[in-house]
Amino acid sequence: MEYRIAEHPILGVQEKGRKVTFTYDGKTIDGFEGEPIAAALKAHGLLIHRYTKKEHKPRGIFCAIGRCTDCVMVVDGVPNIRTCITPLKEGMVINTQYGVSDKPFEEQ
Amino acid sequence: MERYDLIVVGAGPSGLSASIEAAKRGMKVIVFDENEKPGGQLFKQIHKFFGSKEHHAKIRGFKIGEELLKEADELGVEVVLNATVMGLYIDKEVTVRIGDGINHYKGDTIIVATGAAENMVTFPGWTLPGVIGAGAAQTMMNLHGIKPGNRVLMLGTGNVGLVVSFQLIQAGCEVVALVDAAPRVGGYGVHAAKVARTGVPFYLSHTIKEAEGDEFITGVTIHEVDSTFTPIPGTEKHFDVDTICMAVGLSPMSQLLKMAGCEMEDNPKRGGQVPIIDDYGRTSVPGIIAAGDVSGIEEASSAMIEGKMAGVCAAEYLGYCTEKELEETLKVLENDLESLRQGMFAPKNRGKQIEKTEEGIDISTNLLKKGYVTDEEIERFPGVTHKVGVHPVMECTQNIPCNPCQDACKKGCISIGENITNLPFVKNDSECINCGMCVASCSGQAIFLVDEDAGEGKATVTLPYEFLPLPAVGTRGFGLSREGKIVCDAEVLSVKSVPAFDHTNLLTISVPKEYAMRARFFKVG
Repeated sequence: MEYRIAEHPILGVQEKGRKVTFTYDGKTIDGFEGEPIAAALKAHGLLIHRYTKKEHKPRGIFCAIGRCTDCVMVVDGVPNIRTCITPLKEGMVINTQYGVSDKPFEEQ
Repeated sequence: MERYDLIVVGAGPSGLSASIEAAKRGMKVIVFDENEKPGGQLFKQIHKFFGSKEHHAKIRGFKIGEELLKEADELGVEVVLNATVMGLYIDKEVTVRIGDGINHYKGDTIIVATGAAENMVTFPGWTLPGVIGAGAAQTMMNLHGIKPGNRVLMLGTGNVGLVVSFQLIQAGCEVVALVDAAPRVGGYGVHAAKVARTGVPFYLSHTIKEAEGDEFITGVTIHEVDSTFTPIPGTEKHFDVDTICMAVGLSPMSQLLKMAGCEMEDNPKRGGQVPIIDDYGRTSVPGIIAAGDVSGIEEASSAMIEGKMAGVCAAEYLGYCTEKELEETLKVLENDLESLRQGMFAPKNRGKQIEKTEEGIDISTNLLKKGYVTDEEIERFPGVTHKVGVHPVMECTQNIPCNPCQDACKKGCISIGENITNLPFVKNDSECINCGMCVASCSGQAIFLVDEDAGEGKATVTLPYEFLPLPAVGTRGFGLSREGKIVCDAEVLSVKSVPAFDHTNLLTISVPKEYAMRARFFKVG
């Protein structure tokens, strides 16, 4: 399923940075430099950013402007990074966050 | 610690407008904004604004944002981004988080223009990925070029819910329904009508029962509620969706003002906790001024005027302009603001059920319940007249402050008059030249050019069309009613897209004569 808008009736063709690759849960995928990490993930149909600490419930993008912290992930080893406002860079290592760790609960 | 004449918190429409007015009068101004880009929510607003010329009417929000930024820049306003104002203390000292550091500033005046945050409602499954705020949808599609989902249900029929639904369709998403617990559509009827005619059903007096899905949204069930908002058993309806979008109001982000010791009140009419202010935004603390949604939820057009007022007040407070100049400027701005705060959606009318227009015409009840005016109802409005040859049909049925159509017609066919909330009417002594400027200028997309008898049993309808792909001349398809139902065959006769229309394309379709007053949208067959 294609999530990127090829051409918009009002905004035309979106200007994007150069195409870069990054790792998501160990897999190499691509996105555009400078766009929010969350946008690059959404473009691949990836919706789950983290699982909550107590009840292990999935969470994804909610406010998309850096307020709600639902979309936090472990980015380059640092947990609780708000992916909706953090620009994507080449080679970033992005992992699903389980509680506050990038290790699944059964390995914690 | 750095010192400025004026510190503005928030680089949205009101904060930027405030900084421009202050800098014009010689003040040293700095603006902090926690976001990566300035403009607040303006850059996500891709529809044409309402109002009059002085309110930037018929200009799209993001263009207004560009103009404000340019002006602020030319005046030497310093805009610091990724800068979160964390504290506002006694003597107007401000702490700002920039990167990993906390910086300390002092302002001799402060304008708080922090805007508002979205409200949410909860239901089983509301935390699942795929449930998002309407603002998130706008951010993803209009700033980052990403569709928020493929099949979307919108909760909330205020202007945000209506406008974002339309934008979702423009982005290529399917909106399966618009749902609101209230018994009546909350936003402008014209915004509802342009969504309804594409075929989106409205469910008023309905709310979400539950969202389904284990890891993310796969569906949603809504049910009807009675007048006490209690769900009615047996009224459940199910939709397969991958996204639920919430547009259920905004709350002022007034925490900094409270922290600064400004007197506050809980005022539901203004959206929640707001500072107590005078007519120009001045709080109980001298030199601290509030502007925009933080002092009461309205919209960007009024926020810009409030920002200007705050900027001049700050200038006068420090002696950068005389009391006389302040009074004169405020008088003009007050008039601008007052003209926006007219009509049936004016803040003073919030919560009131209005049954007649200012002209004494019964409001369309179907518009409030279903999002569109019926074929019978439409005939009673002054913009809807019948004439030989091509003529404008203005399906503008509510008193809202807006008048670009009047200026758009160079032939003087359209009149609104002095009071900008009047419904437009067609002047009989003027000849329509079929230029289409009125159709493209109507921010509500409510104007059509109709030739009720184009010969050979056909009529032609010219309608605004802001979707892709643009159908080519000769494309056959269907005419859709105001309700969005297929009513007749239709063929595209012409497609006009000129720069003056600003991306509102004009589609002229040929339909059977008897559908001249019924076909209002085109769907490719």
